[in-house]
Amino acid sequence: MTALDYFEATDLKSARELLGRHPAAAILAGGTDLVVGSRSGKRALPDSIVAIHRVAELRGIEPQRRSGLRIGALASHAELETYEAVLRDWTALSDASALVGSPATRHLGTIGGNVCNASPAMEVGSPLIVFDARVELTSKRRKRTVPFAEFVTGPGRTSAEPGELLTAVILPPLTRRPPVGSAYIRLEYRQAMEIAVVGAAALVAVDGRGRCKFARIALTAVAPTCVRAEQAENMLAGQRLTDELIEAAARAAAESARPIDDVRASADYRREMVSVIVSRALSRAAGRAKGGTR
Amino acid sequence: MRTDYRRGDGVEKVTGQARYAADLALAGMLEGRFLLAGRPHARIRRIDTARAEALPGVHAVVTHADVPDRRYGNAVKDRFLFAKHFVLFEGDVVAAVAARDADIAAAAVALIEVDYEDLPPVTDAEAALAAGSDLVHAEWESYALGYDGIVRDRNDCAFVNIVKGDVAAGFAAAEEILEERYVCDMSHPVPIEPHAVVAQWAGDRVTIWTTTQVPFSARSGVAETLELPESSVRIIVPHLGGGFGGKCEFHFEAHVAALARKAGRPVRVVFNRHDEFVAPDKVNHPMSVELRTGITRDGTMTARSARVVMDTGAYASDAPSIAEIATMMAAGPYRIPNLNIEVHTVYTHKTPAGSVRAPSGPQIAWAVEQHTDEVGSRVGLDGYEVRKRNLLAAGDEGPTGQRMAAIAALECLEKANEMIASSRQEGEGVGLGCGWWFSFPSPSSVELKLNVDGSATIITGAQENGSGAVMGLALIAAEELGLDPARVSIVYQDTDAGTWDMGSSGSQTTFNNGRALISAAGELRKRLLDIASVKLEAAAEDLEIADGAVRVKGTPTRNISIADLASAAFGDGDLLVSRASATTIPMPDNFGATCAGRVVFPAFADPTFVCQAARVSVDERTGVVRVKEIAAAHDFGHVLNAPGALGQVEGGIVQSLGMGLTEGTQYSGGRQLNPHLLDYKLQTSADAPAINVEFVDVDGSSGPRGGKGVGEPPIIVAAAAVANAIHDATGARVRQLPMTPPRVWGALHEREGG
Repeated sequence: MTALDYFEATDLKSARELLGRHPAAAILAGGTDLVVGSRSGKRALPDSIVAIHRVAELRGIEPQRRSGLRIGALASHAELETYEAVLRDWTALSDASALVGSPATRHLGTIGGNVCNASPAMEVGSPLIVFDARVELTSKRRKRTVPFAEFVTGPGRTSAEPGELLTAVILPPLTRRPPVGSAYIRLEYRQAMEIAVVGAAALVAVDGRGRCKFARIALTAVAPTCVRAEQAENMLAGQRLTDELIEAAARAAAESARPIDDVRASADYRREMVSVIVSRALSRAAGRAKGGTR
Repeated sequence: MRTDYRRGDGVEKVTGQARYAADLALAGMLEGRFLLAGRPHARIRRIDTARAEALPGVHAVVTHADVPDRRYGNAVKDRFLFAKHFVLFEGDVVAAVAARDADIAAAAVALIEVDYEDLPPVTDAEAALAAGSDLVHAEWESYALGYDGIVRDRNDCAFVNIVKGDVAAGFAAAEEILEERYVCDMSHPVPIEPHAVVAQWAGDRVTIWTTTQVPFSARSGVAETLELPESSVRIIVPHLGGGFGGKCEFHFEAHVAALARKAGRPVRVVFNRHDEFVAPDKVNHPMSVELRTGITRDGTMTARSARVVMDTGAYASDAPSIAEIATMMAAGPYRIPNLNIEVHTVYTHKTPAGSVRAPSGPQIAWAVEQHTDEVGSRVGLDGYEVRKRNLLAAGDEGPTGQRMAAIAALECLEKANEMIASSRQEGEGVGLGCGWWFSFPSPSSVELKLNVDGSATIITGAQENGSGAVMGLALIAAEELGLDPARVSIVYQDTDAGTWDMGSSGSQTTFNNGRALISAAGELRKRLLDIASVKLEAAAEDLEIADGAVRVKGTPTRNISIADLASAAFGDGDLLVSRASATTIPMPDNFGATCAGRVVFPAFADPTFVCQAARVSVDERTGVVRVKEIAAAHDFGHVLNAPGALGQVEGGIVQSLGMGLTEGTQYSGGRQLNPHLLDYKLQTSADAPAINVEFVDVDGSSGPRGGKGVGEPPIIVAAAAVANAIHDATGARVRQLPMTPPRVWGALHEREGG
């Protein structure tokens, strides 16, 4: 498992330069996928590695103009789990961050690494979709931002180009009126160290009369990437959020799933579970929008 | 009974000072790696190691050609160290490499060229039993056997039965008869420490530091396969990071010794988690359990027939003895006068099964205890009532005819039932599981030395697997000699130091080594009293030992310390040393039954009894089960070390819940699909329920101070109790183990459909 070339960036500039010189290098942040994957024999370490874990500019979570949030690529799941603005406004993301792996994984693992690893089961994926998150990429040549939903293109695949580094995840401002609530729910066989069999994030805006202004729903681990369930969203927009409607929308969401049979579950079971998990995510999100408990 | 006892190895383990086999580093040591077959069944046409040997940094490559051409095996001599003409499961060792570092060793393994002719694997044990099925071992008839009396036929490498009473008459007398079938997947012991072996030669003698639970079996295995006298083989076990039976029997010690011999250097092999899942020949048997039981309207079980098919994988391992245990488990801890129970142990091309903690127990109890509830429900009895009417009691006859002494099966039922009933919440289900197990009588010996300062040293062949059984010996010695247990040291797990011991298997360490120790301490105690009697001018029978001194009963100021007595003895030219052995207690006779294939367990010696009750909640929309509480009542005779026994019960319960809910190996085409800890799901601390434990004290055991074996019973019935609790909560019966959410969900749908 020895990497032949290991380069450690000290700042963003040196990270860009190292990646410019070694465009095929793997980027090492928390190491919870790269190192663990190599030790377990899942995939060998690449020939060269650029480590970014000491790059101070990639740390931290900062409020943005007009109340958005800029999350540095090195922000850990543990930081997201407890960051006040994430807990309050982007609750589904803190729900998801709190579910990743173990306390050790959550302290080492970063949002940038999680996003770039591009697992269909990644916990933060569906929350980022419902919040219309963008990712910020930089290379020697240019800087750009891309919608998260377009960034991840398949299992383990992203649209990052060789030499490009993900520097931040940007959460745009949320609407304040009517109030929104969000939630991420994961079906889990055990209560820690778990990977999603099915997961769902929901974001709903509910007015004072209990009417849904808009809804966003995204599904985890039931397609090659995390996916939106737009048909289900459309059923909710402008309607009163009754239990019956939530169940109907959740059943429609299952239509957006393209699950596979694997060692964790059959495709049939996964499909059935999509509607259960979506309905729970919607109910919890609606409850939060109405000022219920987090 | 002391509850404040701190075990001797505790501090070094929790502070990280403890060193395990994989931590060892010897001067000039090489790193070794095995080439595993990676396919379930193939003929080896050719092995070419030239490219691997030519890789710079490689010191040795070993194959079958480098070791004596002989088969070995505990019950059936059915395997080679390194594959000869065939590989029979994906973890068969084909070759091994020793190199300067682990990367070179891995690269060299990849350079070994093996020309395989892949052959279809036998993966279904039931199909393998059918006439005309493909043979896993074409030469099975020619194999030598480890003991006489093993009943074999083609792929069935151990057939065992119990025929007792008149089953036809028993069923004729029944008013309800229920027939059911339950199926269990393979599961694994999963010690946190994977296998690790370090071997170093000095002339013709080899020293092997290894992660074995059974050092003396490891020694005899090395001696047998490498054709050495046992006196040329020394096995040392550094701290062991758990075993749960996965490190029972001789495993990889000889492979590494052969590698070190050829390399002329010490060699270390440390398994990764994948290899730990695939290669050690110790998993919980996949099995099917068919049960048919008759019951009268008053709730008396009149007859049972059972057929258990256990998949032993590629090699027989401990098949016959486990098949015997399986027959006893299928009968259960019940008074059923008419029995016809048969167990087949069947070869397939899978990772071999063996004596994992309470082998066959959790699976069969999970089936039998659900069946017990179902049988009871046919005559309107709940789980408590049907057990109460049928559990074994003192004076009853066991399945093979043994007469029960004082036992507390019923008291355990009462206790666990009472504990769980008081905590039941709305919307939850509760269930019971009863089981039994044995104490294993085996020869064992110990040496006890009293030092001149009044401290003591135990030298034992017993093996500490992490359970604390050997550590608990210090407590026993201290109590017998009136010492502080912190002043009793233990020399253990070195075959050149202690005498033969069966090792940490069969819940036997305290049961046998404890008896030896009490008798060794008794001799020292007598000598101390004799010396003190002269010094204190009092008759020995008027003396007592307490608080590190011998004193005159009733006049505690007339005393002399143990240290002064030991010094006085030394001054008189005497060393206070004693050695004692526990001899094998004869097994209870079996009478009243005719049995085939019984070679180790004619009956259950000094049986232990358990009842555990589970309280669960079931998410009916997903099938996810959460265990809220387990109440456990155990008959261990008299408990010698309460904190130690409690730790065993709690750990066993959590392990049983893993088998019950999340731990199962899936196979495809003869290969494990989830040989890693992400998808082979152990229970985590977050999943562990509240656990409440009661020990029911009972006289009558022949063990030390009336104690019985503790290590295995805790794992047997928690999964069963959970299964019954799921049924109580939902009305659904889950007949596949583990009871994963998709399976529970499936059973809930069947319930609605049916």
